Order: sequence, then structure tokens, then C-alpha cells
Amino acid sequence: MRLQLTPLVLAALVAGAAADDRAEVSTTVFAEKRDGGKGGLVVIHPQALLGVDLGRFVSLDVAYAADAVSGATQAIFQADAISMATTFDDVRQQGTVGLGFRGKRSRVTFSGTFGFERDYLARSVGGDAAIDLPGRNTTVALAYQHGFDQVCDKDNGMLSPLEAKALVGDDDCDHGKIFYGTNTPGTTVWRDLSIDTAQATLTQNLSPTMNMQIALYGQVLEGFQSNPYRRVRIGTNAPQEHIPDTRARWSVSAHLKRFLPPLKAAAHIEARFYDDTWGVLGGNVELGWAQYFGKNLLVRFYGRIYQQQEATFFKDAFFYETESTAGEYFTGDRELSPVRDITLGAKLTIITVGEDRPVWGLFDKLQLNLRGDLMFLDVLPASGAADNPVGVEKQFIYGNSLIDSVGLTLGLLGNY
Amino acid sequence: MHVLAIVIVLALASVGCGRQAVRASEKQFLADQVMTFDDDPHDTAATDHVRSNREGAAGGRGAGGGGCGCN
Repeated sequence: MRLQLTPLVLAALVAGAAADDRAEVSTTVFAEKRDGGKGGLVVIHPQALLGVDLGRFVSLDVAYAADAVSGATQAIFQADAISMATTFDDVRQQGTVGLGFRGKRSRVTFSGTFGFERDYLARSVGGDAAIDLPGRNTTVALAYQHGFDQVCDKDNGMLSPLEAKALVGDDDCDHGKIFYGTNTPGTTVWRDLSIDTAQATLTQNLSPTMNMQIALYGQVLEGFQSNPYRRVRIGTNAPQEHIPDTRARWSVSAHLKRFLPPLKAAAHIEARFYDDTWGVLGGNVELGWAQYFGKNLLVRFYGRIYQQQEATFFKDAFFYETESTAGEYFTGDRELSPVRDITLGAKLTIITVGEDRPVWGLFDKLQLNLRGDLMFLDVLPASGAADNPVGVEKQFIYGNSLIDSVGLTLGLLGNY
Repeated sequence: MHVLAIVIVLALASVGCGRQAVRASEKQFLADQVMTFDDDPHDTAATDHVRSNREGAAGGRGAGGGGCGCN
């Protein structure tokens, strides 16, 4: 539950498969700083994908991804969170299979995903279709996915939300039947979460050196969405967090790219707006530059700024401790807090094309990618300073240093 | 705010629809990998994965199909 690899991400990975046979492996290492001598949070995220053509019109893609997480996490959302940090280790694995059919101007892909970890089962099916409109300068794509996940939770019987206990690492989450979790009465229950996601994308060539893309996204989640481990300090008690069962969200983004032939470079700008029924309103802008150095070296630089306002029921830890809940709900989820973050990154790609003979005796084209990101996070107060004299600096355990986290990705992509 | 976002999207879309068609022989630069939207789905997946654990907003990457019609 702490990890939640998004099935849609993997499905999109499969759906976006190129027509060529291809193999890709990559590993991302993400490290986030922790304050108060609690070390850090480290996530190792390996991925692999193999795509093969089955004749002229059919392709098969198989993808695998995993998360190995270790480090300190927050035990209770409270004004002084550092004293309540605890350490943990967890592993999540996920696989996706996609079957694609393509014609001269169109393609259709169907995919299925299954992911599991100790306390979370992710299952989804979906499909997407894309067509080039006459003139072949406009591409329209539609995608839909249905997920029917299960989350392991503490069996709290008839206890009210303010009395509910949180799941702990020693609780038995039985998914011995692999695809379905089995309740352990008195200890744990598996709760359902359905996720319906739809996307529409319009891609348009504007000139021989410029194109753009508009994307619409909508998602409805129905079911248990709390982190079963997370507790929130309310007065002298610390019950499991309690958030609504229904969430509807949508976003729209616009992306513009321009190639600059004299410079052998391209620039891009991307803007996105996001809104949901929990009151989270956000947006981001990204600027990027891609520069070729000769035929074999491509370097990309990018900067991104993102900001969101908090969910209507999110309050700073001090409020919950001193004023009680925000209506029916209470949460310590930082994803629902007011936050601003900036990412600065670069990606280096070394391209090797087999002209006379295949690269490594197999590949028509081989790319080695190395990417690095620096992330700067700024937690904002959910209420005015007058209502929160303790401040928000200590309510989450991640750092107050300049650089909050670092991401490094090393990948190899081969087309054969 | 919602109306403004929709107006911006429709305005951008109408700009695209009003352009003269790009001929197949003119798509050399559009076919370059840096002009492809989401040219590295693996990388995008890893990035979205990291962000989804830090940010409440989701989606907007598009549903693929961002080719240039170059084939």
C-alpha cells in the first residue's frame, strides 16, 4: 500500500509500444532525505519490457516492474512527526501483458495487469485505440482502463472511525489465493477499490518543425483509499486516517514542441491543470530543451514547477491535535496537503545505430539512457500562522534542506 | 477556473486545425525522437511513479498515439 505502482502507468507503457521488436531494461533509484537523524527513504525501481511482432499486424508486449523500498516513514501525523518515525522494508511486483493490432493508420491494444505486495493486490484490464486522420497530421487516441484492487486493512469490526486502529506490519494479510485476498477475522479484512480511468488525446502537426498534443484525463475511484497504516493524532488518541470512499478527478494538459534545425535542437513547453472532488486543485508547467551533439549524443535539460492546494478535509497536524477533525474526515497524507515542488533534471542518451552490422550482433539501434533529477519540495501551511503556532516544518518527516530528493535512472533500450 | 482551462484547450486545438497540412516529404524533423510525445514510456512510467507518491494530481500524460503520421 505504501508503494502503489500505478497499473495505468505500466499499461500505458505497453500500449505505447513501438512497431519494432524491442527490449528495454531500466532501473531507477530514488532517495528522499529524512530529518532528525532518521536517514532516508530509498526506492529501487527496476523495469523490463519485451515487445515482439507476431506477423505484420499483431504485436505482443510483456512488461515487469518492481519496487524495493526501505527507510523511515511516518508512524503518526502529528506536529512533531520526527519522534514518531519508524523504519520498514517492502517489495512490490507487477506484470502486464499487452496484445496490439495495427493497420496502416490505426492501432488497438488490449492489456491486463496484475500486481501484488504484502498488503495490496492490483488487477486491471484496459484498452486503447489510436487513428491517424486523413492527411496524417492529426492523431486521435482514446484509452480506458478498469482496476479492481484490494487493500488489506485492520479488522476494526463496528468501531467508529475515531476508534479505528491502524494496520501494523505484523498483521497477517492473507492472499494465499494469489489473485484474491482472504479475510482473517478479528485481524485483517480486504477492502475493495475500483478505479475507472479514461483518457483522450489529440496530437497535431502544426508545421514541419512544430507539433502539439492536448490530453484529457478522467478517473473515478470508489472504495477504500486510506493508507491503512497511517494514524492521525487527534487530541490524545491516534486513530487510523479516515478519508472519503469516492473520488472523481480530471486533468487537461497541452504540450508544444518545436524543432530548431540550425541548432540540431528542440524546445518544448507543457502545461497541465488538475481538479478533483476532494478539493485538490493543482497545475504544473515544464520547459525543456533537447540538444544533439553529433549523431550519437543527445542531452535533454528540463525544469518543472508544480503546485497544489490541499483537500478540503486536510488540516495541519496542529489543528487535528488541538481542534479535532475537519468534519467527518482526517488525514496525514502529504499528497493531499498544500505543496509546491520544483524539479530540475537532465537526461543523457547515447545512440548507437547498427549500419553495416547489428549492434552487439542483435540490435538495429541501441540507446543508453542516464537521467538525473533534483527535487525541491516546499510544504505550505493549510491554515494561517495564527491558527498553527507550531508551524508545518515538523509535521512530515522529510527534510527541510534545500534538496529534498534525488532520482537517478539508468536504462538500455534496444530495437531489433 | 474550469471555464478558463477549457477555453485555453479549445483555443490551442483550433490553432492546430487551422494550419495548412504538413506533407509527408516535410516530416523529417517531426519524425525525430525528440519530437515524439512520450518517446520513452519506460522513463515516463518511472517519473510518474515517483511523482504519484508526492503529488495529489494525476494524469494528463495522454493516451499514447502521439505519432507524427510519418510511416
